[in-house]
Amino acid sequence: MRSLSGLWRVAELPTTRAGVERAFSYFTAGVRLGTVAQMVPAVQLGAARAPHEAGYLVCWGAAALAAVAVSVVTLVRRRPPGTVVSVLDFGLACALLVLGPLVLAPWDRFGTWTAFQPGYALSVIITAGGVRALGVWAGSLLAVSVCYVVYLGGDVGSEMTSTAVGNVLTYVVYALVARMFFGYTRRIARDADASRARAAELARREEERRAQVMMHNGVAVMRLLTEQGDDVSRARLVGQAEVELRRMRSYLRGTEGCASDGEGPSAGLVPTVGRVCERFADLNVVASLDLGTGLRIPAAQAEALERALGSVLLNVRVHARAHEVVVHLDATEPEGAWTLTVHDDGVGFDPASVTAGLGLREVVVGELRRRGLGVGIVSAVGEGTTVTVRSRPGPEAGPPGPAQPTVRAAFADAP
Amino acid sequence: MAVVDDASLIRESIGPLMPGLDVVAAVATVEELVRRSPAVDVVVLDLHLANLEQQPDARQGIAAIRTLTHRGYRVCVYSQEERRFVLAACVAAGASGIVSKALPRARAEELFLEVAAGGTVVPQQVVGILEVLVRRDCITLLSERQRQILHGRARGLSYAQVARELFVSESTLRGYWYDLTRSLSDSLRGLTPGEIEHALGLAPGDLLEFWADGTTDKAEATEPADPATRKDWWRIGRSR
Repeated sequence: MRSLSGLWRVAELPTTRAGVERAFSYFTAGVRLGTVAQMVPAVQLGAARAPHEAGYLVCWGAAALAAVAVSVVTLVRRRPPGTVVSVLDFGLACALLVLGPLVLAPWDRFGTWTAFQPGYALSVIITAGGVRALGVWAGSLLAVSVCYVVYLGGDVGSEMTSTAVGNVLTYVVYALVARMFFGYTRRIARDADASRARAAELARREEERRAQVMMHNGVAVMRLLTEQGDDVSRARLVGQAEVELRRMRSYLRGTEGCASDGEGPSAGLVPTVGRVCERFADLNVVASLDLGTGLRIPAAQAEALERALGSVLLNVRVHARAHEVVVHLDATEPEGAWTLTVHDDGVGFDPASVTAGLGLREVVVGELRRRGLGVGIVSAVGEGTTVTVRSRPGPEAGPPGPAQPTVRAAFADAP
Repeated sequence: MAVVDDASLIRESIGPLMPGLDVVAAVATVEELVRRSPAVDVVVLDLHLANLEQQPDARQGIAAIRTLTHRGYRVCVYSQEERRFVLAACVAAGASGIVSKALPRARAEELFLEVAAGGTVVPQQVVGILEVLVRRDCITLLSERQRQILHGRARGLSYAQVARELFVSESTLRGYWYDLTRSLSDSLRGLTPGEIEHALGLAPGDLLEFWADGTTDKAEATEPADPATRKDWWRIGRSR
């Protein structure tokens, strides 16, 4: 039972193409077995009326056996007949057509299932639409058509000519329709698989990015912990390590980042920024947050902002060699909008020659932009670095001021 | 310049360590400096001068600043104090500069010279408070250009960076900044704690522990401070 249910379980299909091929196998088996089912009621009558009963039964048996065999093979292989099987299948259909006049009474060749050969040939044509080799398919179709003409022989009365022509055209049209059906379905399956592969790759990259974002600050803190330092600085780092540890645990448990923007409780902006500044008190952080009193942001934005601000200050600690860091929060127009500026008076860097590290690129710029916040980073050698975060992207990339900054912008939101 | 610091090591070493300064008096108390009355461009003053062993009744903090400024001295506070309202109170009391003892020696020397030359050195924490007071219309005497300068400086931008944004030379910007900080300090001096509390969104009375009431201004500085003036102002421990 288990193997049977496994045979039919669509959810286990590895690819859409495999699923389509399996569907083709069901289609093929259905058509072929359906044809046999149509042939069965007329076999007794056909044999009785046939000029050569044994020959008729042999032909009928060959057709039925071939149809069942093809059905079983396609169901087991989970794909429609291949080129070799199709050639053999076509060959048998042609042989049956050619032998038809020998085993059928002339008056039985049209409009009855005692003359099963044309219907059998049509089922072969339909199910062979999936043959990949175009030449084999076209040649076989031509051969069947020619054999049908042979089948008709010279016994077709003028009143049956139109029916005979219609049958030939039916072969051709059904063959084309079946081939287009197989072809287009396969193409859709290919596109679907390509899309699935791309989606999987994007998901993998996104997960990798999330892991990097989640781990980056923790790794930086651990690195600082391994370096020599006094007890006071180590105690501060241990506090930060605990924060990062909680964050990483949350990530590993799959509970981080559940809230999306606009959902969940809002958080006070001043407490959020102030909390991070306190963790970096040893950097001589001056936090001027009074102008942002009362501002609130979605919890998801607050979480991203806290992580980004932590990453910025870690960068300052590791790279900037700054004497002072000024964190300034300002409420701007329209109501509820705000600008957060982090400026250090450290060594700065030349954005043209320095590639942004993971912290700035992903934890700061990438994460904040994903949360709908505008980010600008401006730096120049010897002039420190200014990171500006806005509640929504604005035309100015650099630090807010009466005029555009003249130092080179490392990262900026497009206007 | 003169140095007032109860730590002898600090007051005696400033001269040798900062060759650009001419230290003509290095004393332990404001009372001693007033008694000597040296002619100096600036007095470098530690905020916390009282200590139980040597000078338990020494005048210190806001009272010390006011005592010196009333006698015409330019005062540059030299302390490890970091709380912004304490620093703002020093500016309000008349200090022309506040320099952190945590700064590198060369930078501290540079700032002392700046104050001695007539400049004003306002710590970043106080610049932030001043910006809030201006934005909340508590201080209204600023031109548009001065507001722009304050805007940039409050965000920590250097003179050079603000000067570039305003298309002026750095020296011009420094001149603007000196004028601006002097004006702001004067304005801050004229504000009551209640007005500042209101502008900053603080509860009434929150600043009283930082803002001196000025009752010591007229006290005789050559005498030790009376017990009322040497209360544990700002309710802090000793900070160097």
